[in-house]
Amino acid sequence: MRAFVVAAALAAALAATTAASAGPVDTPGFTKAYSCSACHGRAGATRADAVPVLAGMPAWYFKKAIDDYAAGRRPSPEMEPFSKMVKTLGVDDIAAYFAAQPREASPIKLDRTAVANGRTASTQCAACHGDDGRGDQAKGTPPLAGQPPGYLLNQMKLFKADKRSPGDANLAAVKAAMKGVDDATLANLAAYYSSLGR
Amino acid sequence: MARMTRRNFLKASGTAVVVSGLAGCAGMGGAPTATTTPTDLAPNRSGRRVVVIGGGWAGATAAKYVRMEDPATEVILIEPNAKFISCPFSNLVLSGVRSIESLTFEYDGLRKQHGVRIMRESATAIEPDARRVRLERGFLTYDRLIVAPGIDFQTEQIEGLAAAGDRVPHAWKAGPQTVTLARQLKEMPDDGVFVLSVPPAAYRCPPGPYERACQVAWYLKTRKPRAKLIVLDANQNVISKPALFRAAWQAYPNLEYRASSKVVKVDAAAREVTTEFGDKVRYDVANVIPPQRAGAIAVQADLVGADKRWCEVNHVTYESVKAKDVHVVGDATIGIPAPKSGTVANSMGKIAATAVVHLLTGRPVPEMPPINTCYSWVSDTEVMAVVNAYRIDNGKVVQIEQKLTPGQSTLYAQHAQAWATSIWADILA
Repeated sequence: MRAFVVAAALAAALAATTAASAGPVDTPGFTKAYSCSACHGRAGATRADAVPVLAGMPAWYFKKAIDDYAAGRRPSPEMEPFSKMVKTLGVDDIAAYFAAQPREASPIKLDRTAVANGRTASTQCAACHGDDGRGDQAKGTPPLAGQPPGYLLNQMKLFKADKRSPGDANLAAVKAAMKGVDDATLANLAAYYSSLGR
Repeated sequence: MARMTRRNFLKASGTAVVVSGLAGCAGMGGAPTATTTPTDLAPNRSGRRVVVIGGGWAGATAAKYVRMEDPATEVILIEPNAKFISCPFSNLVLSGVRSIESLTFEYDGLRKQHGVRIMRESATAIEPDARRVRLERGFLTYDRLIVAPGIDFQTEQIEGLAAAGDRVPHAWKAGPQTVTLARQLKEMPDDGVFVLSVPPAAYRCPPGPYERACQVAWYLKTRKPRAKLIVLDANQNVISKPALFRAAWQAYPNLEYRASSKVVKVDAAAREVTTEFGDKVRYDVANVIPPQRAGAIAVQADLVGADKRWCEVNHVTYESVKAKDVHVVGDATIGIPAPKSGTVANSMGKIAATAVVHLLTGRPVPEMPPINTCYSWVSDTEVMAVVNAYRIDNGKVVQIEQKLTPGQSTLYAQHAQAWATSIWADILA
């Protein structure tokens, strides 16, 4: 019994030492991503509706988003200053950190009818974003699956009003198509893509 | 719990005894008997202990993040309040848009998810040379101390304010006074006058008083259209987001703003305030936000500067310039070019936690800048914001950029809600 206690104490002490020498703080990007958690949640897994989940976001898209915000191509009073800060801290480390975090789909409740209607309306979107909403790096289309519905809906409204990536020729056709879609359908699409991967 | 066991008696009388854990002390009722040797409330056997004074936005964040970063470090959080009540969004309680309950959170997450030990009491003194914190019943030793004392009020600077008590609430620490002020507003006569007094900078939450003006004015416009709000500002102009607030106030003809109108006297019996220029303003409800300084423990421990108000710190480690191994975070600090906001306090908590963990484990401290976002509710549905990004340059925090929202909108209200959801979890869950 005594030997067991000593062994357990030793094991605990060893575990403690290990934690000190190679704790989570030694993961590149771990502390650099701290700034993001105020809005995007710890490890990028926010439970909020209007900001994107960063956990599991592919690094290429994270970096594209940061570049677009910093250059003003994606106007945002919040993300323009913060994207410049992310670049100062090291975008590669932060992108790699979030890409490696376990995906946590948004816990926001969804209406089943909206999801079903969104699925029906999603044919055109799937051509670029994929049947599973996982996106396609070759086409430059981001993953949509599991993002909060509020965030997805706001982005579609921004595209529709040409307030996201204004003047981007590559997106002209997408924006034109969105102009013909009413906001209720956009909300259904947001519910559908948010439901994927849950 | 009142029964005095022999073990507790020994501890209470200051005799050194080794007991397992802290639980035995927590409910002990007896005060120390006449002895010069104070009681070690929890002998430090981990060899790596961080004590955090204050469980607000900065302190609770710091306690959690130290544990998250290094599970081998023991963390004790000293906080007298049983629950965490969010100051951000508490102006919405005045307008009835939110309830105080919706802003009230348990500390359970810190304890259960992160293993933070919480002692529900107040620190009475700091002994940096002995690396000890004094409490009413004894002391705690630390290897590193994080002081997050928030603010206290310089009530004595306004004649009659202390005597007025809860009749003239500040409601500047979310809690019972917030509820009192909301009730006073609701019960105010239909043609009444609400006076809101803004203290001179620096104070907690620069846009807060102006957001409060919006919420009170919105409530009056909606419920008591014959009533009036008079804002008496000690400063020469609106000190945060002035153009955005003045634009928002266009919707409130019942709001009268008077700059350079520092309130120096309150007469609760006559229901009248006096400004430093001798102007007298009669009120039905008065909300006087007093001048502020760092929380009492920071002043008592002389962590404050020559002005006896705020604490200067190292911009990378948040170590006090006045005491070794003592770090100060949150609204009590001065010198870092960032506002006294919840977001900044949360940032400082993480950065100081990281610094402390690196220092305790003998590693170089990474240079991490804070961030700021201040969302302000200008009506029941619309929000505007200021955003600040920083970097570290030669060991000092410098601003990269400040950006304002182009106006107020329901979109930014969604962002504000998302921020609150995420940051409350970042602090406590």
